[in-house]
Amino acid sequence: MHSNGLFLKDVAGFLGSYYTGLAIMNAIAAFLIWRRKNRTGEAVFWASVATALMVLASLAMSGSATWVPHLPESLRKLVNTLSGPVNYTAGTTALFAGAFVFRKFFVKPMVAWTVFNAALLLMGLAMADENFASIVMKADNVPIVGLVFLLAFFTWVATKQAVENDERIARGLPPLEKENDEKVLVWPDLVYTELICMVAVSAFLLAWALLLPAPLEEPASSVKTPNPSKAPWYFLGLQEMLVYFDPWYAGVALPSMVIFGLMAMPYLDFNKKGNGYYSINERKFAYLTFQFGFLELWITLIILGTFLRGPNWNFFGPFEFWSPYKVEVLNNVDLPQMFWVNMLNRPLPRVAADAPWYAQMATILLREAPGLVIMAAYLFLLPPLLAVTVFRKYFAKMGLVRYLVMINLMLLMLSLPLKMVLRWTLNLKYLISIPEFSLNF
Amino acid sequence: MAENKKMSTAEILAAARAAKAAKAEPPAAADVAPPADTPAAEAQKAEAPKPAPAKPIAKPAGAAGGRPSVAEIMALARAKKEAEQGGGAAAPVEKPAPKPAPAKAPTLKADGDKPASKPAAKAVAPKALARDTASILAAARTGAKPGPMSKADAPPRPAPVAEAAAIVKAPPAKLAAAPTLPSKPVKPAAKKGADAEADRRGFLEMVLGSFMATGFTALSITGGLFGLGFARFMFPNVLAEPPSRFKVGFREGFPAGKVETKYVAQYGVWVVNSDVGGLQQIYALKTVCTHLGCTPNWLEAEQKFKCPCHGSGFYKDGVNFEGPAPRPLERYAIRVSDDGQLEVDKGRTFHEEQGQWADPDSYITV
Repeated sequence: MHSNGLFLKDVAGFLGSYYTGLAIMNAIAAFLIWRRKNRTGEAVFWASVATALMVLASLAMSGSATWVPHLPESLRKLVNTLSGPVNYTAGTTALFAGAFVFRKFFVKPMVAWTVFNAALLLMGLAMADENFASIVMKADNVPIVGLVFLLAFFTWVATKQAVENDERIARGLPPLEKENDEKVLVWPDLVYTELICMVAVSAFLLAWALLLPAPLEEPASSVKTPNPSKAPWYFLGLQEMLVYFDPWYAGVALPSMVIFGLMAMPYLDFNKKGNGYYSINERKFAYLTFQFGFLELWITLIILGTFLRGPNWNFFGPFEFWSPYKVEVLNNVDLPQMFWVNMLNRPLPRVAADAPWYAQMATILLREAPGLVIMAAYLFLLPPLLAVTVFRKYFAKMGLVRYLVMINLMLLMLSLPLKMVLRWTLNLKYLISIPEFSLNF
Repeated sequence: MAENKKMSTAEILAAARAAKAAKAEPPAAADVAPPADTPAAEAQKAEAPKPAPAKPIAKPAGAAGGRPSVAEIMALARAKKEAEQGGGAAAPVEKPAPKPAPAKAPTLKADGDKPASKPAAKAVAPKALARDTASILAAARTGAKPGPMSKADAPPRPAPVAEAAAIVKAPPAKLAAAPTLPSKPVKPAAKKGADAEADRRGFLEMVLGSFMATGFTALSITGGLFGLGFARFMFPNVLAEPPSRFKVGFREGFPAGKVETKYVAQYGVWVVNSDVGGLQQIYALKTVCTHLGCTPNWLEAEQKFKCPCHGSGFYKDGVNFEGPAPRPLERYAIRVSDDGQLEVDKGRTFHEEQGQWADPDSYITV
């Protein structure tokens, strides 16, 4: 299905200019390193990288299956077989943890530049694959690819400043922002910058809209759902959440909790440090919680939803053809079923449909007892337990109410990854499943 | 550029301060010599700030240059008016106007000008009028509308501002009450015209009691009409939607094990002939996923309904088994009509989780 001649001829021009762009970027970098930083050795290295990229560009321009630089077939197959929601999430979590632990290494400009180049090069090689290209180069996915790089860049800049500040603080110096806190005027310094940005972005968007026209689809119909049916990109994290939860929870309660939690943050935060400057060491808990929630539970889910979810919301490897006939065995079972039927070998507690309401309620409660017990323990037993163990200092500093708000927000946030893990490992659908009242958890 | 930026706050502040100082000084000088003749004082004023300028002063200097002109314009305008009305009876009333002018004097800037321009005003007026746009405009305005002039004349401000110079100001302040007089005779005249119109315009106001009542009555009438129109919109002349009861053919058209998908596009229903709990039934499934309402697809090869939105899957009998859908698909009522065809009624649905699939209206035994 991939790398056929016709497709390669189509993308040859694009890939050629892509590599040329990379080469020019590296040539400029080499020049700046030589001129500004006076590091000739590094400059020569990046100049040679630029030369190599020019060679790749000319190869790509050829448009022939043998010469266009691409990833070997075996590697692509391996990537496809290895990718799945479990490995993807584990991988991104490992990446997140690694980037945090080795942040001092990654904030070095040369390291970041190397990683950036490697990512772009890898993307170029992968785009010689038809399946990969058809997703990444889709007109409405292009901005998301750009945003991924933009997000990585801004995260890197902030981390760099935080690491620098941490080092300064360790040496007893004030943070960079405090040392050099010369203020500038809103008018004209800020307003002019904004005006220029506004004009530049408008021009850019205009050019973009002309060059990459938005795709038009057939008229909407209430009985025909596009396959796959995707939310706008910024809601794809939510859509992914909806795979694991009941709509009212993942679609209403959890997002409200996110907004409420973000609003509550200033009232929960008792750490006076890090005010007005970047720092990681001074506020590790806050930093890690936020970055985990944002990068891991929101951004990676958006990427997953955009690039790796195909027809029927099945998971597809990056080089896999999006076949609507892909079969994925997903037999999900509710907890009551697991507990009563599979473990105790008894039928689910049932009651006649015409029984009085209290008998119905009692039966439902009995049926859902295992789930209710687990949820009660999670939400009511865990907070005090954590208060006397892990969060002892926090509890002492925050007081009961603030601590309870904080810990509940945190537990609700963690309910997402926990539920995902339960779904993957135990095929658990819902802990509590009361379809009679549309109440599932 | 970077250097400029770094210095900017301090520099600008310093410059501003310098400008202020420069501005404050010349008037003070003018203060000392108020009786000096007009052109001299003006020249002094105009020139004084000029030598001072650092960079940013250019603007303040310009502003300062503009300032005296306002006062001057007022004086000139007044003079012009006087000249116009000079012959008329209005003249005596207007006369006090020049006098209160000194009342304005307390402000440092005006101080230098006022006494100077006042005497000059009468004489210079025609010439000065032609001199610059601002004065021409002002003159034109005063000619057309006496309002602003009298407002400018009325000096409620100088009285509170007066500090040290109170001695000089006190008497003019009293006089200042007088200049408002000219405006009075003018206003009633304008009001008379308005009154004549108010009789016509105020008709609704009179009928309904008040201005607010008129407004709210109009609003509620409009709203009521709009509501009626909207209500009519709810009962269209032609209803384009398919009937909720429809026939799908004879039962021979639904062999065992078949999921009929041809009614999905028009009616949103699958007609299925399948084994449910050991019983061969024909039933109509609603094509709405119980998770978030997308339309699942029937996958013949895998013998399941699969939702494209979040991956929920349902067996042929409609029972959910994969993905997040919390309950089975719903059934529509189905029956054999009098002519032997199967008839689906979308008006009634049957939920499995509520035990309604046992209802004989929800299926046809084959």
